[in-house]
Amino acid sequence: MSQPNRLARGGRLDRSRELSFTFNGKTYRGHPGDTLASALLANGVDIVNRSFKYSRPRGIVAAGAEEPNAVVQLGSTEAAQVPNVRATQQALFDGLEARSTNGWPNVQRDLMGVIGKLGGQFMPPGFYYKTFMAPASMWMTYEKYIRKSAGLGRSPMEKDPDIYDHFNRHCDVLVIGAGPAGLSAALAAGRSGALVILADEQEEMGGSLLDSRELLDERPADQWVAEAVEELAGLDNVLLLPRTTANGYHDHNFVTLHERRTEHLGETAPQKGGRRQVRSRLHRVRAGQVVLATGAHERPLVYGNNDVPGNLQAGAVSTYIRRYGVVPGNKLVLSTSNDHAYRAALDWAESGREVVAIADARAEPSGELVEQARAKGIRIIPGAAVLEARGQSRVTGARVARVDLEGFRVAGEAETLDCDTIASSGGYSPVIHLASHTGARPTWREDILGFVPNLVNGVQAAGGARGVYPTAEVLADGWAVGGQAAVATGFDAVEASLPQVAARQEGKPVALYQVPHEKPTLRGPKQFVDLQNDVTAAAIEVATREGFESIEHVKRYTAMGFGTDQGKLGNINGMAIAARFLGRSIPEVGTTVFRPNYTPVTFGAVVGRHCRELFDPERYTAMHQWHVEHGAEFEDVGQWKRPWYFPRRIEGRMESMREAVARECRAVREKVGILDASTLGKIDIQGPDAREFLGRVYTNKWAKLAPGRVRYGLMCKDDGMVMDDGTTSCLGENHFLMTTSTGGAAAVLEWLELWHQTEWPELEVYFNSVTDHWATMTVTGPEARKLLAEITDIDLDREAFKFMDWREGRMADVPARVFRISFTGELAYEINVQANYALHVWETLFAHGEKYELTPYGTETMHVLRAEKGFIIAGQDTDGSVTPEDLGMHWAIGYDKPFSWIGKRALTRPDTARTDRKQLVGLKPRDPKVVLEEGAQIVFDPDHAIPMPMKGHVTSSYYSPTLDSGFALAVVKGGQQRMGETVYLPMADGQVHEAEIVSPIFVDPKGERQNV
Amino acid sequence: MSNIVDDKVKTFDTRTEAKVPVESPLAYSYRRSGAPAPGKDSGAVLRERPFLGHLVLRGGAIVLDEALRSVLDMPLPGEPQGLVVDASGERSVQWISPDEWLLIVPGGEEFELENRLREALGDAHFAIANVGGGQTLLELEGAASSELLMKSVIYDVHPRHFPVGKAVTTVFAKTSVILRRPSEERWELVVRRSFADYVYRWLLDAGEEYAIGVER
Repeated sequence: MSQPNRLARGGRLDRSRELSFTFNGKTYRGHPGDTLASALLANGVDIVNRSFKYSRPRGIVAAGAEEPNAVVQLGSTEAAQVPNVRATQQALFDGLEARSTNGWPNVQRDLMGVIGKLGGQFMPPGFYYKTFMAPASMWMTYEKYIRKSAGLGRSPMEKDPDIYDHFNRHCDVLVIGAGPAGLSAALAAGRSGALVILADEQEEMGGSLLDSRELLDERPADQWVAEAVEELAGLDNVLLLPRTTANGYHDHNFVTLHERRTEHLGETAPQKGGRRQVRSRLHRVRAGQVVLATGAHERPLVYGNNDVPGNLQAGAVSTYIRRYGVVPGNKLVLSTSNDHAYRAALDWAESGREVVAIADARAEPSGELVEQARAKGIRIIPGAAVLEARGQSRVTGARVARVDLEGFRVAGEAETLDCDTIASSGGYSPVIHLASHTGARPTWREDILGFVPNLVNGVQAAGGARGVYPTAEVLADGWAVGGQAAVATGFDAVEASLPQVAARQEGKPVALYQVPHEKPTLRGPKQFVDLQNDVTAAAIEVATREGFESIEHVKRYTAMGFGTDQGKLGNINGMAIAARFLGRSIPEVGTTVFRPNYTPVTFGAVVGRHCRELFDPERYTAMHQWHVEHGAEFEDVGQWKRPWYFPRRIEGRMESMREAVARECRAVREKVGILDASTLGKIDIQGPDAREFLGRVYTNKWAKLAPGRVRYGLMCKDDGMVMDDGTTSCLGENHFLMTTSTGGAAAVLEWLELWHQTEWPELEVYFNSVTDHWATMTVTGPEARKLLAEITDIDLDREAFKFMDWREGRMADVPARVFRISFTGELAYEINVQANYALHVWETLFAHGEKYELTPYGTETMHVLRAEKGFIIAGQDTDGSVTPEDLGMHWAIGYDKPFSWIGKRALTRPDTARTDRKQLVGLKPRDPKVVLEEGAQIVFDPDHAIPMPMKGHVTSSYYSPTLDSGFALAVVKGGQQRMGETVYLPMADGQVHEAEIVSPIFVDPKGERQNV
Repeated sequence: MSNIVDDKVKTFDTRTEAKVPVESPLAYSYRRSGAPAPGKDSGAVLRERPFLGHLVLRGGAIVLDEALRSVLDMPLPGEPQGLVVDASGERSVQWISPDEWLLIVPGGEEFELENRLREALGDAHFAIANVGGGQTLLELEGAASSELLMKSVIYDVHPRHFPVGKAVTTVFAKTSVILRRPSEERWELVVRRSFADYVYRWLLDAGEEYAIGVER
């Protein structure tokens, strides 16, 4: 198959091999070294997409990251779909399949183009705001259709077969961009011995030198590039990252680099040595110094129908010819404001095709490149510009006329030149995106007609990125900046050794952004500023007329610079145009903020390996394997996996959760059950002031707790609201073991350290987490004592080992601390052993437990049993607005303690003393079959007009097999004084439940069972 | 077993001499995820050192240093993020925070050591916590070890920044580990028991491209 635009020679291609690829279902051929864009151009594909808003045919205009039109969807299978890939950045590989993201039924014959998308001309700037503002509830519906017709690409619906990861890197000097400035900077820093990372987004390092006409040391520029890259690759203090885009510049020289490791090889990563390779990698780089060697983007001119396929950037024309051996047309008209763009005409002519004319906006063009063009006999039209492109799906001609730049008007008769390609150049814009991510606003420089970055500490720009353009100066600038960066990180500068480059004489450019037309902007042909978002010069004029004078408002009103484009080609032109309409200067108008990411990053790279089973840590206890083997269903508590309940297969049928929980509850109340309580936080507290410290952080008293005894403690924040609770045991006069809730463990330890370190550093006390050291198993129920007696040497006699005592001894031959505390209201022992022995002790308990029908139970049964006893769970029955008084726990508050404990002062506020605060009560549904919904709102008068006054809500609610009834804990305004009253719970489905306010203690109110 | 050095603090030997089954924090992980055998092309080899004695020392550096020298003939590390390993390579002490050090000794030595340290420290203000059941030591060796760590920890592991004799507490994926460099060839990770399986699975996954192997 022929590639009509492929030159017979030239380009950095491997012509010995052919690659086959498809675009929109049609098969084409290219070579290794091509990008998808260069291969499409070689094959004469003009239309690559339809535009976002007006559905106009669009072609390739650029050769790099700034390409606005050739944004494609890749992937031959559903799982391999990748949206938003710029064809100019995608290396060609054999079998590549790409589609336009836009255009229906296809880009060649677009129905929407005929009828107009969503009404075509009826989609003026500000359309979204005006049309879809109301009703707000419909936005989700509108958005779906807008996205579909806008063609923004789509994500795969199947699991991605590839793997991704993150790399944390640290270096002295990070150099971003490996063009002349970046290579030079990396050499200067690398030779000094600094740790250097050099990242470049392209397939090959070298940047503009890969298509340069200039000689370095009297040799083609790419030879110097090859030598420089080879030297850098040989330095073990330098890391080269090709195909790696610096996408975000974050605080403190933290830069995220997106490395595409296999995307040039195939749509999924090939295996290497039988193992999966990482497809793309996000490098999280913390750099001492950053050198931005990001170069400059050429600025296109804004003229009529400048979006018709065949309109290209002048520099892109040179790149396609010199780097890819592709000449994207036959007859060229060049419209320029500067000398540098003449390269396009020279390269075009040298590839044997016709240059019709160069329209140069300057009255008297002069300079070396201009003279070379003259010498080739190319017609130069001075003081002129292309006013308008002709053609629909491809350029067929260019209307050229003299223009009066000062007066912004056409100054002569237009002549129509027959051509198929128009290249334009309005100068160069330094790529300041990364510098802009830091929040620093750039500065306009009139001498280079561009914004240069303002920089925060530790960042420097070099070369084109700060408006230095001649190659010799760029190399020198890169060297200087790279050397300074190395010195700033503690290395000695090395003497410069740079290639000789002949200085080139260039004429001065003129400022030209929007080209005047005979008709006013609003009536003339569309002059596109932002091709990706379909923003025209007229749209900017409308925005300014409607009063949007800030450039940020203009941006949002028109969508200029939105999305994946981030204003790479259009923003400076847009600002210049807004400035003209507003009668201001460009620096007065200023810039919008460029945001991360510079180019799209796949979700795979963002996520890395933090997905699927590694999405979040799962913490396991020492008995986890047993729980798995015994069919536990698990509940996430913080990051812990805790057994929720243990369903059994009974008579061939698996129990429901309710059945399993009822069985487990009955086992504890009637026989004996066992719970894995290892997840409770455990803090070892030592020091002569340990007891004093406890008295200050708990609401209740600790002065008299004797060694061997355990006490329940309640902890408040300084606002007087309950934050956590648990038991603390006195191990020795200066030694305590505090337990916390599972979820509160880390927060409580931090809380203790915070108060110790900031408020009471004079107290001699240390806290150490021993949560993981001990495994804890709660054995509870009337048969608990008999069971334990079989495997322990501890005297379990009820007088010797009382409720709220702890003892130490052996349990199944393992040293154990046993705490006689109860969260179920039954006789209970909490056995603590070193975690490495835990499974043995657990299994020994079961070996002896069969005759007592020892039953494992999970968190759900634990919740039911404790709620039957009115025991709260911090974070479930409390929510940061509940005081100990609200919980009815006056007995746990020591108002007369000598030192003011945390929360005491807050509990003296009038607000915390109100009698109509929400207070903890029990609720008994009138219908025992009803289990109230947790979170359900409580009202006193069900007939009250809506909105009803909310009087409280349900915090915990379960079915109790002991009561054979639903029951609940709730907080109700003034509830402690409303015992016996009826409250109502209106539900979303229209039902209204009735319940009686009762004591929160439903079972064994006198607490006799735990004392047996 | 039980031994109250003074009546103020209760020390407790949590080990038993009885022949009972004992499980390291990775026991479940081996059963669940397996342990790929190291091969010739393994760029990283992982090895658990289970059941060691781990003691957390809290207190002032000077008194703890004196006590450690007298009891174990070892100094505390002279500076923050320091790691000292004794001549046998079996005992180490590392800086954790300004008043906190981690002492790791062969399993079974820790209880007697704690009591002797307490004796040596006398009335000083200090604390010693036995945490041996709550954490485990992983050794990582091989040419790709530092790359594997770069995928996992945010701390800079370049030898210029992380020489032998350094030890830090750092973020590891979505948990934290203590990372130590006792020798040129070897890294050590001290991992909390409940997070050990996550760390193990992470290392196997991240180490796949280096053909990671596990020695058992």
